[in-house]
Amino acid sequence: MERGTFLYEVWVARWSLLSGFGITVSSAVLTIIIASLLGMIFGIALTYGWRPLRWLIRLYVDMLRGIPVLVLILFAYYGLSLFKINVPPFWAGVIALGAFSTAHIAETIRGGIQSLPHGQTEAAKSIGLQFHQTLAYVIIPLATRRVLPPWMNTCAEIVKNTTLLSIIGVVEFLLSNQQAIARNYMVLQFYLFATGVYLLINFTISQFGAMLERRFAHLRY
Amino acid sequence: MTDKNIPTIEGSMVRRGVLGLSAAATAIGGVAGAGLGLLAPRQAVAQEAGPSRLQTVLDRGYLIVGTGSTNPPWHFEDETGTLVGMDIDMARLLARGLFDDPEKVEFVLQGSDARIPSLITDKVDVICQWMTITPGRAQQCAFTVPYYREGVGLMLMADGKYQTFDQLKEAGSDLTVGAMQNVFIEDWAHKALPETKVDQFESPDATLQALNAGRVDAYLADQSAIRWLMAQNPGRFADSGYGWMPNSYASAVKQGDPTWLNWVNTVYREAMLGVDFDLFAASYKKWFGIDLETPKVGFPTEFS
Repeated sequence: MERGTFLYEVWVARWSLLSGFGITVSSAVLTIIIASLLGMIFGIALTYGWRPLRWLIRLYVDMLRGIPVLVLILFAYYGLSLFKINVPPFWAGVIALGAFSTAHIAETIRGGIQSLPHGQTEAAKSIGLQFHQTLAYVIIPLATRRVLPPWMNTCAEIVKNTTLLSIIGVVEFLLSNQQAIARNYMVLQFYLFATGVYLLINFTISQFGAMLERRFAHLRY
Repeated sequence: MTDKNIPTIEGSMVRRGVLGLSAAATAIGGVAGAGLGLLAPRQAVAQEAGPSRLQTVLDRGYLIVGTGSTNPPWHFEDETGTLVGMDIDMARLLARGLFDDPEKVEFVLQGSDARIPSLITDKVDVICQWMTITPGRAQQCAFTVPYYREGVGLMLMADGKYQTFDQLKEAGSDLTVGAMQNVFIEDWAHKALPETKVDQFESPDATLQALNAGRVDAYLADQSAIRWLMAQNPGRFADSGYGWMPNSYASAVKQGDPTWLNWVNTVYREAMLGVDFDLFAASYKKWFGIDLETPKVGFPTEFS
């Protein structure tokens, strides 16, 4: 590899880029796990929960969906410090992204459940299923099938939102590219490279989504 | 400054673009702080007398410094992935003074907009991040003595449409100058070129890309950055030959701790004029190509 070529510069920055890639993927995966679990619980609670609880979660969802994710990230990092809660930047970012995406997924799940024909739950009742069984064997599987596409959308959104973590000094993939650019000024090359890698991550997610959709394909009604 | 004599953070919020993150960061710091009575922008921040941060840092065993990682020659990563630059050298001077070990520093990477919020929220002990001293900022943090006098200039493409500052002036409103976002940037540009259009970008490399792509005719940047860019890319760029807007770079610490501020000041002053001059001069040579004159022996010239 010749000095001064793009490939050479990528090679020079390889550890930094790999580490940035690792931070991007790990923050995205952690956020997806947190947001999916909490979003599922909140979504079910929004549909079947005790009224005051429903009202609280509704308030949470509407608030979080109305705040720009960047503001949430800044608040998690700087705002909490004012209350003497000092969270390392990576975790502040994951908490903020998680809280934000939880609201989106909760709303998706609620929509998915409420779009199910009422006859499904009636049928479950008529064969003597308890509520929790109905939830586990009928509602969640059927709703999952319906919410897969918007849920995958949210996952792709999460990956893109991780770029905002650079604002609070987390050296994720985009910032690791910018650090390389600061040294060699290959602006276009590195941004194209970063774009390609983000596309690749999200392509993987969409393939995973397509696979899940095939797995759940038999759950048509 | 057009509409305000004292640039406050609030004033800057209005005049920032969508990407003006300091507005958001400071708004959060400001709103939350004002709510808690922790941050009174226009009052001296009174603090209960406790142990100085100097003691806190010594007990901790390492210094925590707020800086950036994408702006050569101030703070950037070299080919080995090590953070280097003039700001980094200043931070290492402090660590040397504290622990006899320039390595005992933890760098907290942050955007330029995070400098004051980081101090206010105690995330860092000191900021070494090309920080320009302004009266507005000095109300929110305590500045040390400056370690560099910056000025802005205009960089052009060596083979571009305009070659001299006079040609830029003649172009009038046909001219577009690109610059990194800054509250005062419009005023700065218009001081030199009253009629020019100004396009603001979120980072130096984005601005440079715009110049390369011909989207802007000139790049308004710090002269240190222009010198650095021209040295890195021989023959590619040209300097318009005009410089203006002096501004001083200093470190900043949280207000209300005179002991800590005085200690940092002492180290800086003696680096510029006393025992650590050789180290300081080596940094100047390395990052700016400037040969400093050895301070004269005899009467301390800083008082003359």
